[in-house]
Amino acid sequence: MLVYRTPKTIKENSTFTFCPGCDHGIAVKLVANVLDELNLRDETIAVASSGCSVFLYNFLDVDCIEAPHGRACAVATGIKRAMRAQKKENFVFTYQGDGDFASIGLGESLHSALRGENITAICINNTNYGMTGGQLGPTTVLGQVTTTSPLGRNKEYHGFPIKTAEHIALSDGTSFSARVALYDIKNIMNAKKIIKKAFEYQKKGLGFAFVEILSSCPTNWKLTPVESHNKIKNELTKIYPLGIFKDVLNE
Amino acid sequence: MSYIKIDNSKCKSCYLCIDVCPHKLIKKSKIIGKTGEYTVEFEDNENKCIACASCAYMCPDNAICEVYKNE
Repeated sequence: MLVYRTPKTIKENSTFTFCPGCDHGIAVKLVANVLDELNLRDETIAVASSGCSVFLYNFLDVDCIEAPHGRACAVATGIKRAMRAQKKENFVFTYQGDGDFASIGLGESLHSALRGENITAICINNTNYGMTGGQLGPTTVLGQVTTTSPLGRNKEYHGFPIKTAEHIALSDGTSFSARVALYDIKNIMNAKKIIKKAFEYQKKGLGFAFVEILSSCPTNWKLTPVESHNKIKNELTKIYPLGIFKDVLNE
Repeated sequence: MSYIKIDNSKCKSCYLCIDVCPHKLIKKSKIIGKTGEYTVEFEDNENKCIACASCAYMCPDNAICEVYKNE
């Protein structure tokens, strides 16, 4: 009996362009799995961003649009509102990295949450700018060595990292905000549950739903995939605590 | 007998499946994959596989594409 197969939303014969052991692959697969389970494939419009998630349209068998750098939430807002004006209810989600969501596109992202736009945003947090070679990003933790902070992130010089899920949870338009990790199978199944919830909140029309996924970046952290999962488990989850920070249906 | 299907053309040799398998049934094979390192293979001589699909959920590249459970 078949108990698992690659989700149908992932295009056949497509290979992911991520580095070996990158958690992006797990996250894309979970999103595809949830789209399959909720049967949303025909009505979904995905908004990809610049960064490692740039080739999303090559993997997912849904309508995809490529937003300019940082503007994914703004593009998603436009799609959602334009389709509603034509009396069509489409499912719109964005898939972004932390540099795209929390640095270059912080204004677009935060104001989409403040307006309570009825979209879902998924943000992959790997604590650096992965695609361009591991520079210091907004979520780089204190002391972390990157190519542009060779002595480690210093709070006097670079400032403190942003805790995206907590910040989004503070805005009144947000319906759901959570942070999950993918370092072991228990957390992967929990992440799937949380992503499903965020997608369902959009279907119910409750407002901006946000999921931050703590992800590994073995290439730029210069660790093996297994070591980088251990790093997330032992170090990053202490700085970025996992959990649900806002849930309008459960308050 | 439960078993998994591995697509070696997609395997990038990250070995996360070896780490996650609860019965350690996945090991390095002798085939060299696309990243220039050994891919993985499934060996279950004592029928220990419980078809939990942990390896399939963990695989970041869809190389473990199907999991079958014997009733």
